[in-house]
Amino acid sequence: MAKVILENLSKIYPGERGRNPKVAVDRVSLEIASGEFVVLVGPSGCGKTTTLRMIAGLEDISSGTIHIGDRCVNDTPPKDRDIAMVFQNYALYPHMTVERNMAFGLELRGFPKEEIRKRVQAAAKTLGLLEPDNLLVRKPKALSGGQRQRVALGRAMVREPKAFLFDEPLSNLDAKMRVEMRAEISRLHRTLGSTMIYVTHDQTEAMTMADRIVVMSSGKVQQNDTPMNLYHRPANRFVAGFMGSPPMNFFQGRLRRTHSGLEFAEETPEGRTSWVLPLTSGSTSGLASRMDKPVVLGIRPEHISPDAGGTGSFEVEVDLVEPMGAETLVYGRTAGHKCICRTFRSEGKELEGRKMRFLPDASRLHFFDVESGQAIS
Amino acid sequence: MNRRHPTQEAITFALLLAFGFLFLLPFLWMVSTSLKPLEETMKMPPEWIPSSFQWHNYPDAMRAMGPFWTFAGNSLLLAGLNVVGTVLSSAWVAYGFSRLDWKGRDACFFLLLMTMMIPFPVVMVPLYTLFRDLGWIGTMKPLWVPSFLAGAFNVFLLRQFFLTLPRDLSEAARIDGCSEFRIFWQVILPLAKPALLTVALFQFLATWNDFLGPLIFLARESHFTLALALQALQSTISGTPWHHLMAASTLVVAPVLVLFFFTQRTFIRGIATTGLK
Amino acid sequence: MNRAERRNFARAMLFVAPWVVGFLFLNLYPFLASVWYSLCDYSALSVPVFLGFQNYADLFRDPVFWKALSNTVLFALFAIPLGTALSIGLAVLLNQPVPGQGLFRTIFFLPSLVPAISLAILWQWMLNGPVGLVNMAVRPFLQAINAVAGTSLQAPDWLNDPNWALWGLVLTGLWGTGHAVVIYLAGLQEIPVELYEAAELDGTTPWQRFVHVTLPMLSPVIFFNVLMGIIGALQTFAVPYILTGGADGPGRSLLFLATYIYQHAFDYWNMGYASALALILFLVIVVLSFLAVKLGEKKVHYGGR
Repeated sequence: MAKVILENLSKIYPGERGRNPKVAVDRVSLEIASGEFVVLVGPSGCGKTTTLRMIAGLEDISSGTIHIGDRCVNDTPPKDRDIAMVFQNYALYPHMTVERNMAFGLELRGFPKEEIRKRVQAAAKTLGLLEPDNLLVRKPKALSGGQRQRVALGRAMVREPKAFLFDEPLSNLDAKMRVEMRAEISRLHRTLGSTMIYVTHDQTEAMTMADRIVVMSSGKVQQNDTPMNLYHRPANRFVAGFMGSPPMNFFQGRLRRTHSGLEFAEETPEGRTSWVLPLTSGSTSGLASRMDKPVVLGIRPEHISPDAGGTGSFEVEVDLVEPMGAETLVYGRTAGHKCICRTFRSEGKELEGRKMRFLPDASRLHFFDVESGQAIS
Repeated sequence: MNRRHPTQEAITFALLLAFGFLFLLPFLWMVSTSLKPLEETMKMPPEWIPSSFQWHNYPDAMRAMGPFWTFAGNSLLLAGLNVVGTVLSSAWVAYGFSRLDWKGRDACFFLLLMTMMIPFPVVMVPLYTLFRDLGWIGTMKPLWVPSFLAGAFNVFLLRQFFLTLPRDLSEAARIDGCSEFRIFWQVILPLAKPALLTVALFQFLATWNDFLGPLIFLARESHFTLALALQALQSTISGTPWHHLMAASTLVVAPVLVLFFFTQRTFIRGIATTGLK
Repeated sequence: MNRAERRNFARAMLFVAPWVVGFLFLNLYPFLASVWYSLCDYSALSVPVFLGFQNYADLFRDPVFWKALSNTVLFALFAIPLGTALSIGLAVLLNQPVPGQGLFRTIFFLPSLVPAISLAILWQWMLNGPVGLVNMAVRPFLQAINAVAGTSLQAPDWLNDPNWALWGLVLTGLWGTGHAVVIYLAGLQEIPVELYEAAELDGTTPWQRFVHVTLPMLSPVIFFNVLMGIIGALQTFAVPYILTGGADGPGRSLLFLATYIYQHAFDYWNMGYASALALILFLVIVVLSFLAVKLGEKKVHYGGR
């Protein structure tokens, strides 16, 4: 167990044959505390996997430093970094039995046979590889996807490394198995208390497993915070739109002063005002300086409810209704923007093509700068 | 297609039978002749089954060739050395061309592919003088030392196979603590067994069947391979003792056919993949 | 190169070193030496004496060279199309749902395993004029034709007849075509069945399906094998050399470029002239391969999968 510190870490792929150099990771600084479970999340190509591979030592560092524990590991080969990695495709050695797969790393490090056996047995027991069938004697080919990923976890566990690195470990599993393994990994983290760094593009995995989430985009850290903070106080429009499903609704408009306080007026692309939302005093702090200036309003779908016509409600034309069972998604259009509402009322398909009114929860509003996308608070 | 066309199938089967018979005939004729008494080989119309089986034709033919077992041993030794040399060196080089990233790799690989275009007759004269200057003419070295320097075709074959092995495996091994050499030896090679076996079989066959190489580079009769010794027999004997020639030919073919029957699947799969690439 | 790149390069060099040594000593040096020798009078026993392009000038006036060249090209011209057609035909037959597919495949494949020495001796016997098996099969046909048409056709004495010797060799080559059958069969099995089913629903005949589905889908495989076939056929040496006992055959009808190179190099110790011949062979291979590639670019259908 150890802390992991990244300082101004960058990865630049040189441009070959006249192409421009590509910055894959751009001055990333992170401090991961000992025993913390940190998830790097972002769309594909955002640099999260490259960052993880640099921590593992599988990718050369262009600039910046990585510390594992108290040691700078920039020039340390992967095998001496005392980390273990779980790969997306499991990367089990097909020609070795499960037992040998787990023992291989220890053998290479010259552990005594007895110790290796003890650790493999313990890990196998924790991961349920012994019951109901003893999987240790099998080859990876004879295992299901979930079982293979358990073995990959076991291979990492027996090493008792300073840090576990996970590279999208669940994306090759089917939906049901993914939920199961998610819980399994969380449980492991609780029992082992190890430092874990986990890369995924799946925000549900990030939200459910992480102590802390690092959202990345175009090689940069967009926000680094606890799951709840990320959800409730996204630092910018990218994070707001990336975390949460379906994604947050955005409306461009203008802040105006009224006799009783402030209001937000949505504007169509042609500059016409289509609806107006009065703001309660609780949500107006920091907005005074933006008076009469364009801003972006963000409202999560779950913070909009279908309404008969209260103050601040707006009219939409319904395009599509998706009944999901427990909840219903209603896709609509205002004069200027698309808008999704997520409600526990069961709405019927017959609403499609009709008009209805949506009412935002005035206490759950997010405002962003039009140009920079930064949150205004 | 799941529907059956009985007439079409019957015609296909008949054609296959006819062609199959044509392809087998020379083999049968070879074995049949090899067991006949000399005068019967010229008999018209021919007898397929010899009037009496002359099994002694085989030892006779072997004696006519000279020290048969020396030649067989030479062929086997060369084939063995070539198999070991080719498999080890080609796999080693193919690893460098497939599992490592380095500047200039693609250019070098292109060069390697280009060397396959150079016909042997173009290089055989300088190779002869080179081996002569090294003092290798009069030894068997010219026929096996080069195999330890990785043949282009086999490197190509193994590289294609190595490229199909996931990169994650090497990285997992690197994290587990493997050196590059150990990844090659303990991870990649065991996984490449089918491909290595294919290369080994092809190489065995190529060396066993090689004629031009021994013809040019071998100087002493005691170093002759079976192929070369058989050619010497054929070109020196007067008259046409076809029963002996057929017996000797059968003896040279037989090991290859036996090897094939034991390794058929690997063989066929190997040929199919090399031809489709 | 930065430090990491240098390290990677050094490590890679360790792995590719055997090939680099082989390339320098077994490819590059011999090739360059061949070019140098071709410009020299060189008997392999004395120092090469520079002659300029004398060897090439001699070669163009050498009728034996032209004979060897035309034999070599003619052989490739006949053997490759015939062999390709036969092996595709056999592969198509084998690809049908008939019993014994594996057995037939083995039977067709076996001859391609036979060493050149055994192959040559066996076919010398098969093609024997009076008592050879081939003529035994040919004669009844000729007699039937003679009886009907009143002609007096005789079975040829293949390898002793300048007009027939090359054809005998083509026949020998056809027997060893099984290697290609295996490759084409594998290629056929790669073609998705749905394509045939779609074509059948479009109302095509089996022949149309062969022309419009099988051949285009198989064309990359055919192209590759024809290319390899050209390179191989132009280097033909062992079988004609053994068939003729190291000579030229009747009327030099079995003299190939490779044989002629061998004769000049190791029978007459005329290494300079042999090298000039070898470089011409190389040029022929390059030119024909280039033509095949150019032709292939237009006709070959890639992107099937």
